[in-house]
Amino acid sequence: MKKPHPIEKVNQPGTPVPASRMFPVFSTWDGKVIDHRANQGNPVKGSCPDKFKDMPFRGLMAWNGIVLREEDTDIPSLAYAYLREARKISCGECSVCMIGIDRVMEIFRGFMEGTGTRQDLNEILEIAHEVSVNGKCNFGRSAALVPVADAVKCFRGSFLALIRGERQLFNHGYESAVTAPCIEACPASLPITAYIEKIKNFQFRESLTLIRSKCILPGVIGRACTHPCEAACIRQRVDEAVAIRLLKRAVSDQDLKEGCTFLPTPEVNKKEKVCIIGAGPAGLAAAYHLRLMGYGVTMVDSFSVMGGMAAAGIPDYRLPKDILLHETGLIKRMGVEVLLNRRIEHLRWDDLKKKGFKALFLSVGAHRGADIGLAGENDVVEGFEQGIDFLRELPKWRSGIKPVHKIFILGGGNVAIDCARSCLRLGCKRVEILYRRSRAEMPALPEEIEGALKEGVKIRYLTAPLRVVCKWGRIEGLECIKMKLGTPDSSGRRKPIPIEGSNVILKADMVIAAVGQEIDTSFMTEKDRKLLSQGGKILVDPVSCRTNKEGVFAGGDCVTGPATLIEALDMGNRAARSIDAYLQGQDFRETWVFNGIDTAAQRGNYFFPESRLVKVPSLEGRDRLNDFAEVERGFSRAEAMEEARRCLRCYRLMVWEVDKSGQEMTQGRRK
Amino acid sequence: MIRIQIDGQSIEAKEGATILSLADKLRIRIPTLCFHESLSPFGACRLCTVEVKRGKKWELTTSCNTEIASEMVIRTDSPEIRKSRKMAAGLLYLKYPGTKLIRDTAEKLGVKVTKSKENSRDCILCGMCVRTCQEVVEVNALRFEDRGPDHPGEPPRIGYIRESCICCGACAFVCPTGYIRMEPYGGDDRRVIWDRVFEMAVCRICGRRFAPLAQLEYLSRKADRPLAQFMTCISCREAETQSLMVDEKDWIAMHKHG
Repeated sequence: MKKPHPIEKVNQPGTPVPASRMFPVFSTWDGKVIDHRANQGNPVKGSCPDKFKDMPFRGLMAWNGIVLREEDTDIPSLAYAYLREARKISCGECSVCMIGIDRVMEIFRGFMEGTGTRQDLNEILEIAHEVSVNGKCNFGRSAALVPVADAVKCFRGSFLALIRGERQLFNHGYESAVTAPCIEACPASLPITAYIEKIKNFQFRESLTLIRSKCILPGVIGRACTHPCEAACIRQRVDEAVAIRLLKRAVSDQDLKEGCTFLPTPEVNKKEKVCIIGAGPAGLAAAYHLRLMGYGVTMVDSFSVMGGMAAAGIPDYRLPKDILLHETGLIKRMGVEVLLNRRIEHLRWDDLKKKGFKALFLSVGAHRGADIGLAGENDVVEGFEQGIDFLRELPKWRSGIKPVHKIFILGGGNVAIDCARSCLRLGCKRVEILYRRSRAEMPALPEEIEGALKEGVKIRYLTAPLRVVCKWGRIEGLECIKMKLGTPDSSGRRKPIPIEGSNVILKADMVIAAVGQEIDTSFMTEKDRKLLSQGGKILVDPVSCRTNKEGVFAGGDCVTGPATLIEALDMGNRAARSIDAYLQGQDFRETWVFNGIDTAAQRGNYFFPESRLVKVPSLEGRDRLNDFAEVERGFSRAEAMEEARRCLRCYRLMVWEVDKSGQEMTQGRRK
Repeated sequence: MIRIQIDGQSIEAKEGATILSLADKLRIRIPTLCFHESLSPFGACRLCTVEVKRGKKWELTTSCNTEIASEMVIRTDSPEIRKSRKMAAGLLYLKYPGTKLIRDTAEKLGVKVTKSKENSRDCILCGMCVRTCQEVVEVNALRFEDRGPDHPGEPPRIGYIRESCICCGACAFVCPTGYIRMEPYGGDDRRVIWDRVFEMAVCRICGRRFAPLAQLEYLSRKADRPLAQFMTCISCREAETQSLMVDEKDWIAMHKHG
């Protein structure tokens, strides 16, 4: 592909279907009926997601109802297509769901053969009711036969015509998609429900293979993920969310216990070479997938170990280094050339091209601590540290630097908490975090804050530093001001406003600023910087990860700003597919079918038996602070299987009849 | 102790008990297929459904895996419950019409069945064998397979891990339909379960074939004792130990005075 590709033009969504007529013609979304069909005088009662307006389907059947664009959609055939897909997801564990679907399909086939009766329609409704009140899992209850029952209720005429033999069941060309609320919440769309199912069924190896398809660092992510999936877990409506993160960790732990499995080796070797700068999560994910496709991969990093922020930013008590070494080592074993301890001073893409590289992936991360801009900061020689630098240099601090007495940490994110807990482990007596807002606005993970408080870290809310007090270049204290909360600002959090005259001077031996990180773009030439970056971040197309320069891709923190490991992994996965498409001269397309549809919504709010979260023991009391030993213990094999049984299997299925005009699903950008 | 109401009577019950165990104590009959008191509840057969009051609504739930909670109001019989049980039993009967256990259960719950003497001993996927192997025997030789979206079209089944099996026969013992069978293979010296043939060990005293070798090897590994110690059959072992045993009275007397 030779032509230039301005960012706006790449991956433009397909032409939307003209909404010339009423949309939808008919809908039972969320159990609320909209009916614009001719000869139907029903008033409009509900609504359906806006997303459907841009999807080129004629008729759609999903867990939550039916949506029609064309009045003449063949409903019985669509229902049969839906049943066929639902049959694949049904696990057959309970006696009603799979047998029920089988029975309904048998009834449909009876219609075809002319043996159907009116009575059969009632039987379908009865079975659908039974499955939705008495099914074992949430798929059975909220998805398996719900829209089929809608179809029978609202389109009785079509079914009667089918029974009389006036119409037939056809395959009009259907597409389907499956997801779950947790999968939608995961930035990398890990197949969560599927790998939990494997754990439940004592298939840890298979589970690991599933996890690795999207997340190449299961042990790391299983320890240090921010787990947005758990926040979306439907189980919370019954009791507590399933411990998805710990289940992933259990799978990787089990793999280590049983003798680790290696990563697959590429089946073919392609001659194209790709250079990756930065061996963080994004770079590692891209390296793995590109290598698996057969490309030659060279990875360069300035740090002495692979892992990027996972190596430099997460202390040992949360993520032991040997786990990271093991998992990154596996990627290296696939035949990835890794050059460590090499800092790139001036990056010239043309020189790299001459060396035979066909594509470049930038995943340099955000490793420079953001400037806090305190008065007097420049006078300090000793005692003022950047949080991220402090964490990176923890080994140095651990080997013999005398712990100071009183430390202040500025900021309320995970880095601030990591710094505080590390300081305690170094032997500091008093560690205090200063945060401008209150506990509710703190961006750090609640369990991390909880852990820090338990260990003895103090947090002073609504306090902002103004000035560093120092003497002969050595820090002496910090002048602070009290704050109060005002109206919400652009980030949605309440803006802190200083209270006049509430200044105090706090004595301190050391101050660590952890107020965010930014990207160090000094490796780029001035010209490149203008072309590639904007606002201190590298500018890319959010879907294909392409930059403005031909053959250069970027992903991870250097694109998004400081974000989570799992988001970086997702960009790495995507970039690998995009680079592959670029090198093969193909268009890169990515579809997010469920984007814009509320997958948490479901009909009915049924009773599920409560079962309590399996608790994992963690190090307690003084044992914790003696060294950097891992605080949290993982699940054992039996515990993991027990916890996996708590998964409700909230599969969401959607089947639609493809528009005859031949358009594909449009492509949507993820938020 | 917490107070709950079941079928109109208010009683005190121990926290953590399931509705089914409580009903059992109160002699309330609830039909089950996949429940076994030594195993964790599974909730697969959907026959033990009862209703629990939430707000003003009665909601169906399986009694085997629902724990009682304070002030819970439960009823174990209502038209809805009967309908639901009948429906579940009816679906099971549709799938396994030849299995006697299913036919009898369905008939008891009001499903019209055709009388026959046939018993095809189907696997009804109650999961008792898997749970026994994983929870009681703890060798994990059985597991559920072919479930979920990765196995489109394939019927779910019980997966057998040949190399883990010790031929203890617990799965065959617990199987309610007789699908799993442990039988002699050829002569006395071998035995077959699932599709693996096991050799029987010879007692080193009487020379009788008394237990599968794989089982003795497993015991020897677990107990960390040499295999030779396990190569004696029960009757020979009794005879052996009896000659060594001290009379109980003598033993007490010995300790009192000395």
